[in-house]
Amino acid sequence: MRRYTTRLGAGLLALVLGLAACGGSPSASGPASDRGSGGGAGASRAAEALYAEVGALSGEQRRNQLVAKAEKEGKLVIYTSMTSDVADAVVQAFEDSFDVTVSLYRAGSETVLQRVLQEQKANFAGNDIVETNATELFDLAKEGRLAEYKGERRELVPDAGKFEGWTATRFNLFAPSWNTKLIDAAGGPPKKWEDLADPRFDGKLSMEVGDYDWYLTLYGWFAKQGKSEAEIDKIFADMAKGAKIVKGHTVQGELLSAGQFAVVASNYTYLVEKVKRKGAPVAYTPLVEPVIARPNGIALMKTAAHPAAAMLFYDWLLEEGQQVLADQGLTPSVPTTGKDPLEGVDVIPVDVEKVLSESDRWSKKYEAVIQGGEQVTK
Amino acid sequence: MAVMSTESPAAVIAPERALPPVPGRAARLWRALFAPKTLIMAAVAGIIGYLAIVPLYYLLYGTFFDAAGFTLSGFERAYSANGIGELITNSVLFAIGASTLSLVVGTALAYLNVRTDVPFKPLFFAASVIPLIIPGILYTVAWIFLASPNIGLLNKILEPVFGPGVLDVFSLWGMIWVEGLHLSPIVFLLMVAAFRSMDPSLEESALMSGATRWATFRKITIPLVRPAIVASILIMTVRSLESFEVPVLLGLQNGIYVFTSRIYFVLRTYPPDLAAAGALASGLLVVAMLGVLLGNRAGKNTRSYQTVTGKGFRPRPMELGKWRPLAGALILGYFLMTVVAPLAVLLWTSLLKFYVAPSVEALKSVSLDNYRELAGLSQAGTALKNSLFLGLGTATLVMFLMSIAAWIVVRSRVRGRGVIDQLAFVPLVIPGLVLGLALSFVYLRSPVPIYGTIFILLIAYCTRYLPYGMRYAVISMQQIAGELEESAQVCGASWWQTFRRVLLPLLSPGLIAGWVYILVVSFRELSSSILLYTPGNEVLSILIFEQFENGQFTVLAALGVVMVLTLVVLVTVAYKLGAKVGLRQQ
Repeated sequence: MRRYTTRLGAGLLALVLGLAACGGSPSASGPASDRGSGGGAGASRAAEALYAEVGALSGEQRRNQLVAKAEKEGKLVIYTSMTSDVADAVVQAFEDSFDVTVSLYRAGSETVLQRVLQEQKANFAGNDIVETNATELFDLAKEGRLAEYKGERRELVPDAGKFEGWTATRFNLFAPSWNTKLIDAAGGPPKKWEDLADPRFDGKLSMEVGDYDWYLTLYGWFAKQGKSEAEIDKIFADMAKGAKIVKGHTVQGELLSAGQFAVVASNYTYLVEKVKRKGAPVAYTPLVEPVIARPNGIALMKTAAHPAAAMLFYDWLLEEGQQVLADQGLTPSVPTTGKDPLEGVDVIPVDVEKVLSESDRWSKKYEAVIQGGEQVTK
Repeated sequence: MAVMSTESPAAVIAPERALPPVPGRAARLWRALFAPKTLIMAAVAGIIGYLAIVPLYYLLYGTFFDAAGFTLSGFERAYSANGIGELITNSVLFAIGASTLSLVVGTALAYLNVRTDVPFKPLFFAASVIPLIIPGILYTVAWIFLASPNIGLLNKILEPVFGPGVLDVFSLWGMIWVEGLHLSPIVFLLMVAAFRSMDPSLEESALMSGATRWATFRKITIPLVRPAIVASILIMTVRSLESFEVPVLLGLQNGIYVFTSRIYFVLRTYPPDLAAAGALASGLLVVAMLGVLLGNRAGKNTRSYQTVTGKGFRPRPMELGKWRPLAGALILGYFLMTVVAPLAVLLWTSLLKFYVAPSVEALKSVSLDNYRELAGLSQAGTALKNSLFLGLGTATLVMFLMSIAAWIVVRSRVRGRGVIDQLAFVPLVIPGLVLGLALSFVYLRSPVPIYGTIFILLIAYCTRYLPYGMRYAVISMQQIAGELEESAQVCGASWWQTFRRVLLPLLSPGLIAGWVYILVVSFRELSSSILLYTPGNEVLSILIFEQFENGQFTVLAALGVVMVLTLVVLVTVAYKLGAKVGLRQQ
């Protein structure tokens, strides 16, 4: 009997291995079974037809038609990388205005991208709208998953926020920030980006391990100012000398207020603002210029199961929603009424095209900078 | 075996009359195939194979194949980084240091707890689970607040004596210290189970024959628990090679890079370099496979480790005599270091608006606002409920399946049983993100509607924690002598009855330890949960991640405190229930 059991065990194992091997290539797209809450080529055509039809309208007529259709759909699925406090405020305001129930998936931008791609490749229409970072939206657009959006609100967004397939809704601003109790001992706050390379900040400056988009944009700006590559490399090498490298902007902000270091090179201003409002001894104004802005944006899915609700949300986020974002301390992409906190401030957008096309090169170059090692030249 | 006994009388009565060979064989095959034992074993083997092979296949496919076909370019990218030599040196030193520290500390504490009359026994319980419960990110940041040269509280206390910044947590030693302490509970739980099932008469004989305590410990005790020690070394090494929080939060600051920082860099680039990440994981896989092989060789002569035999015994604690105060001091010290200090920092942080070192002035700003905010979070209740469901479900399922799997591996003679052992270890080296991608790939295409439900998380958790369950179960199984099962079967018990009534109770110290471990760590699982959850299926770890992303560090600390309290209650109940079965103490 033992022999049979033996064979049985081996056979079962072979079966399991065989089944797994028949699974096919994990990178290939799945069978064309239409699953999910709609989905498939048919839904895609229907959604795109609606986008085109409503896209031609404007003003009240457009809004009324969208509201009627969206409330009939009754539901909206958003995938976003907004932080949850912002996302909660946005969803709350939207649900208060319209009779549409929002279902929200939140994760880091890379995870949002992975999730959408996984679902789309399997013909599973999980979401109607995606709201995330520029790089991830570029990728989705390149993969042909995003639908075209036409609307008057998009025209109000500056050119640095208008892209094929998606529109910026807000900007994350990179600027130096400092601990007000420690900065005087280090000779006062930095006034320009080059100051960060000053030896007075050795051992007192912190840099973030993943901010290569900040790095390449500032690099480009330095070049435009007429600096040679050798000069720019030296500035960054001097910054990195003695710098404390931290992973994660939140931890960086927390450690800054606790006094672990005196200056942070490239934190998001809204994160610093948040701890500052709680009374922590941190500051980022007067802003070191130019402030570097990274667009975050919104896009319609081609396969949306609730296209009208999706388009309504898009319109709304670029209109009423902009104020909600501003109230949360973010920088909206459409200048809202009232005082613009960035009036007169020199702002340059992150070079998103370069981030996308030369990601590997710049990521490696920045990695070498923060390791204080040799520069990678390609 | 029951099947065999029914056929023998015929052979005895009429030895000369050979049975017609064909129908007999077929009938026996038929009966063997559908015996409950065969079915159960096959099902368990199938489940393990399925859980392990799906992500492994996905990982290896992504590593070795791209659009153009077979490629090794992932390896080239992964292993040709700047300063790879230093990277390997750091990783190896870090892994050896952290696993040695956790092994020594965990084993010593387990021994003292189970086998001696050491004081403060109730503290062990807290010391064994609390560091596991505190999420890695909080535990590490708490240590920054304690031992940073600039702002560390311990440094402030030590300053008058040793000068400023005597402790530096941002060094390789600091990393080893924090990681080693954070991992030591796993060793502690494993070793407690091993020591608990050990017959002390062997040690007593050694002592009677004139061996010193130390010699007895070295020559008798340690060799007897060798399978558990080998398993601990294996898990600890792999765990510290893949540890994320400690290397990035403590190592990066002064440029100490290890493999995980590397995986972070290759997954960060756009598009994420899954092939390079897979190549790094494959390196770990080879290390782990060799480890399992060595572990099995070490445990091969299983009879030498069988300490639970037909001979009755009662584990009786050894008297420490004059060493008792010293042991007590050691335990108090360990408890202060692993539990009180980090937890106190967290508690303090959770009462503030932003972290400041404790002072009279800071004391005035203390409030419960963070807890209020936590209570106001809309998903907090759902997340707690889901995490409980997943933690209890995963722990129970995994330990049940693994106790059967351990029987197959240790006791049965099925050919290929070693493969089951190897497969059960595979998920340990698969990065959480890759596991998430593999599962979403499979279940987005499966006709069974699992994608988008909480069950996909259950599958993910069961996969991730299978290796731990397997180690806990195998070690316990190796300690139990086969004669106990044989006696049960001689008395007419079926295989299933024997398993349920004899083996499970005897295995219970190990199974409960594994259960507790899985319950606790599944509350922390993030990397695959974040990709697989759907609105309404949030878990606590996702809430932690959100608070972290939001920059709400103080709320996060409050959440950490709440998690510690919840799990301590759960684990206490589990131990109380567990004490009713299996080997009795005293």
